[in-house]
Amino acid sequence: MNLTLNVNGRAVDVDAEPHDMLVDVLRDQVGLTGPRVTCGVGLCGTCTVLLDGEPVSGCILMAPLAQGKEITTIEGLPEDDEVVASFDRNHAFQCGYCIPGMVLTARDMIDKGHACSREEIREGLGGNLCRCGCYLKIIEAVEEAAQ
Amino acid sequence: MTQRADQTRPGDGPARAYDGPGASSAVRGINPRITAQISYSIDSTIPGEWHLRIIRSAIPAGRVTGFQTALLDDDVIFLTADDVSDLNTFGCQIADQVVLTREPKFVGDAIAAVVAPTARDARVAASLVEVDYEAVPSVFGEMDAIAPGAQLVHAKHYTSESDSAYFDMRPQDGTNVCHRFRIRTPALQGRDEPEVVPHLDDPDDALADAFADADVIVDEVFHTPAAAHVPMEPHATNAQWVDGRLEVTTGTQTPFNMRQDLAHIFGLAAEDVRVVVPFMGGAFGAKTFIRTEAITALAARKAGRPVRCVLDRDEVFNEVTRHPSTVRIKLGAKRDGTFVAKRIWAYVNTGAYADCGPGVAQKMGYAGVGPYRFDHVAVDSYCIYTNLPPGGAFRGYGAMQSIWAAERVVDMMADKLGIDAVELRRQNLLHEGDTFCTGEVMHDARFEELLDDAAAAVGWEKDGDRRGKGVVVILKGMQTPSKAEARIELLPDGRYEVQAATADIGQGAGEMLTRLAAEYLKVEVDQVVVCAPDTDRVPYDTRTTSSRSTHMMSRALADAARDLQVHGTIGHGYVSNDGGLDPDTGQGIASSHWHQGSASAELEVDDETGIISLSTLYACSYAGKVINKHGAELQNEGSMILGLGTALFEELQYTEGQMTNPNLSDYNIASALDVASIRHRVMEVPGGEVHGLGETAVPPVPPAIGNAVATFGYDVRDLPMTPERVLAARLGDTFQSPTGEDPQ
Amino acid sequence: MTWHLPTSVDDVVRTRAERPEAPIVAGGTFLGILVRQGLVEADEWISLQRVTELTRMHSAGDLSVGAMVTHRRLELDDTVRTIWPGVAAAFKAVASPRVRNRATMGGVLADADYASDPPSMLVASNAVAEIASVRGTRRVPVEDLIIGHYSTSMEEDELITRVVVPRPTGAAVYRKLRTRSQEDRPASSVAAVVHGETVRVVVGAVSDRPYHFADVCSQWRPGDLDSAREIGEEYASRIDYIDDNRGSAAYRRHVVGVEVRRALMAVAR
Repeated sequence: MNLTLNVNGRAVDVDAEPHDMLVDVLRDQVGLTGPRVTCGVGLCGTCTVLLDGEPVSGCILMAPLAQGKEITTIEGLPEDDEVVASFDRNHAFQCGYCIPGMVLTARDMIDKGHACSREEIREGLGGNLCRCGCYLKIIEAVEEAAQ
Repeated sequence: MTQRADQTRPGDGPARAYDGPGASSAVRGINPRITAQISYSIDSTIPGEWHLRIIRSAIPAGRVTGFQTALLDDDVIFLTADDVSDLNTFGCQIADQVVLTREPKFVGDAIAAVVAPTARDARVAASLVEVDYEAVPSVFGEMDAIAPGAQLVHAKHYTSESDSAYFDMRPQDGTNVCHRFRIRTPALQGRDEPEVVPHLDDPDDALADAFADADVIVDEVFHTPAAAHVPMEPHATNAQWVDGRLEVTTGTQTPFNMRQDLAHIFGLAAEDVRVVVPFMGGAFGAKTFIRTEAITALAARKAGRPVRCVLDRDEVFNEVTRHPSTVRIKLGAKRDGTFVAKRIWAYVNTGAYADCGPGVAQKMGYAGVGPYRFDHVAVDSYCIYTNLPPGGAFRGYGAMQSIWAAERVVDMMADKLGIDAVELRRQNLLHEGDTFCTGEVMHDARFEELLDDAAAAVGWEKDGDRRGKGVVVILKGMQTPSKAEARIELLPDGRYEVQAATADIGQGAGEMLTRLAAEYLKVEVDQVVVCAPDTDRVPYDTRTTSSRSTHMMSRALADAARDLQVHGTIGHGYVSNDGGLDPDTGQGIASSHWHQGSASAELEVDDETGIISLSTLYACSYAGKVINKHGAELQNEGSMILGLGTALFEELQYTEGQMTNPNLSDYNIASALDVASIRHRVMEVPGGEVHGLGETAVPPVPPAIGNAVATFGYDVRDLPMTPERVLAARLGDTFQSPTGEDPQ
Repeated sequence: MTWHLPTSVDDVVRTRAERPEAPIVAGGTFLGILVRQGLVEADEWISLQRVTELTRMHSAGDLSVGAMVTHRRLELDDTVRTIWPGVAAAFKAVASPRVRNRATMGGVLADADYASDPPSMLVASNAVAEIASVRGTRRVPVEDLIIGHYSTSMEEDELITRVVVPRPTGAAVYRKLRTRSQEDRPASSVAAVVHGETVRVVVGAVSDRPYHFADVCSQWRPGDLDSAREIGEEYASRIDYIDDNRGSAAYRRHVVGVEVRRALMAVAR
């Protein structure tokens, strides 16, 4: 099937079937490496993309469901994004594999006013797993960016 | 130096372009790991490559008697054990593996492979192959496998030429024990003893006199399960043959072991193998030694084109695990609390292949002795084959399993003696100049400060109410013997390039090397770049494991910087740590420096559900001198969080050898919701030496929690301490509460 | 392959009646996993993404929730949080914001996943599902909709269009018991909702489907600890438990007694 996806502000034509998940289409056909597959069941958040500004799991999103929506990946955030800067300032990463998903999730939390306390931040990030265990610094980074 | 680097803050100026793996770090610009401006192994590709899928055994033990491949498309390349007849066996400490086997030894063993033009084609092709088997009896538990007359997993024992076998092996003929390690302090040597002790209630008559001076003896058995590394990035390998030379781009912590092992497997000179290591999205031990590399190289040879292999998540789970173990500890003390003797029997379930299991057995052996003085120590560790997936390196390995048992036993002894648990530890701690059970003299020993720090973190008062509190102190070793080389080259543009094999797993190796080189060269961090580990370009290093890299590389780089000042454009640095232990007496140098740590916990247990609620989880790790403050903190926090999962819920489960939870829904790892109670400290000392701390805080966390839980009467022996196990420890399997009262 | 994009409920049920093999795609969070794993394959698919009438939600009087209303919307809606706090809590307890941004009211009921949070609360709240097909519309209490492990009483060509949750007359409590990470799915899920003088207690995530025993609930004496304990024990004894990574059957049986008792004491406060 031919689909037109709006990715990071530009229209991209792709060839994707319903059994193709958005993350694979973005990686294989759009050439983006920010969204990543880890668990493959929507649990861990390394495949997070924003769909009309809301985080979703790209690894289980059938590609046609993204039609007509604005898709934002880490590559689509502005260079001076304050969440990115805060993650960097707070050294809130190790291997970095989960970090684009963390940043996008935090971006949405902050935009919607859901990062008002550490408790709320932990809750919002609960579905984004980091095996290096950088959570403490990530929580600090989100807290700082929210201020 | 650290201060100067911190002045170059992102946001102070425009972000700089990223110029190659390792070149950037948090020391300049927005770190490209945050914005996905780096390539991981999984992002690396070779034009024209085909895709590999491994066909895996559905039975835990037996023979493959045939394949049905009629449904495969003509262009699909099919590989079986027939394709490996000219290849050598491999294995980092014991060469007991073949690239594709006719005789699978665990569910998931690689028995065949398909190569097809696309990943989807390869997946479909693999599903079309049917396999016929002839099953043989199998054995899964370490105590079952060491029992007299147990089914043998391997018909005979093997050895290895690899330099990962850094000590002599002691395989036990006619048993599943592929290595036995012993410690015997001088008075206990030379006794007439059984070769293998297969029973957990063995009376240990030959060494009973070691406990002659003990008034009180605690003798207990503990268990730890298999666990998964769960690197977020799966194993990803690209291989091609160029003019008879093998080039592999892969996520590995062991580039030089990889080169040597691949050369050996394919009968090549080491120089004819090139291993390039891109960034890794985590490893934690899972990306050590040969994993997907040999099969991918073989497939590329047969296909005559580049081949790529990326594992699915369930394959990552089955590729390598943390060793399950059973540990029996017998501790003897005088009535005044003085420790007299310690006896350890450690049974390490290494699964179908040894991998680094022999080394794990050795580490379990001495880490379980702990940072205490004894008149007598005797340890027997057995590395035992079973038909489970192979165990391998794992963040904090060996030490975690035996420290779980050892530090729980110290608290049991304190209870029996009626002595405060922290004071009992203090009374017996090793100090500067004391002799460890291996005969080596302790140096830079900080155990008392660590113990006091952890105790203070939970408000421990001597002989006070300790309900809900637990404190532990530990030592663990670093890979010894070990050597490292580094080169520093002055580039034409005036910058310096660090050439070192330390792989950037995510632990911040690039930043560590950058900061160290800048310090030794007395230049700005901007003037230093680090090249990717590439065996064609960088000098030898043992490997990026066991928290050894910062310690070893700091000295190799200092040496290289000195050499550069003498020789102008290229400086070579070399360090080696000598040592090692005699496998029969455990005497020698176990570790050229000791990782020292402590932990404490304060918690409550819901006495009707068994759920543990932590209010404080604390760890203090001795770092000596810190190279990179944030990196050190991240390593310590990460270790604690892994320790937390290990303590409370991480456990691989099997039914008849088949892993039943190889996914992140059925196997949980800690999330942001689980870490609210965590605090920690990285302990620095003026003039201290550089200590690694990539895993020091893993082992003390489970017993700190376990000791706190035990104060409520829940004596949990098996990890993880699930609510169910906690409750069963007091109420039995039926969970019948004696009171039935509602606590709320 | 064909991705059908009907724009009305009539359109959906007609399309589905002609193609009974075509899966209906709502939020796609559960179906996506199955499709990714190759467990569901099809040539034709019917997506609800353009059926705007299914995204309507009304809260004047009873709460009417269109099948395509997301978990996230129910969790955050001020009126739902104020008047149906139990419902908001149960939907908030599901997975992560990523999943809740996509997962729908219709989807969670049609999937009948034993370990999901909302079903027990919807049954306890006396929610009723409205179901459409080419034959017309019928209303089925959620209690009668989910009949087993991933199994519902719906006909193959039927579509859940909305769910109506009556305005509560008493307190509601949702208790999710996690035995591993705090991010985990429930080992037991207990919902208790007071309706006038009576209570509906429903236990989920421990067996094939949510369980409600009206005869046991009828014995309730509000605020009485003995009564709460007796009801807990009776619930515990009547269910046939599953045994998985989140807990053995024996453990689940034990904690259901505790959790039911605690839920009953909490709604009586």
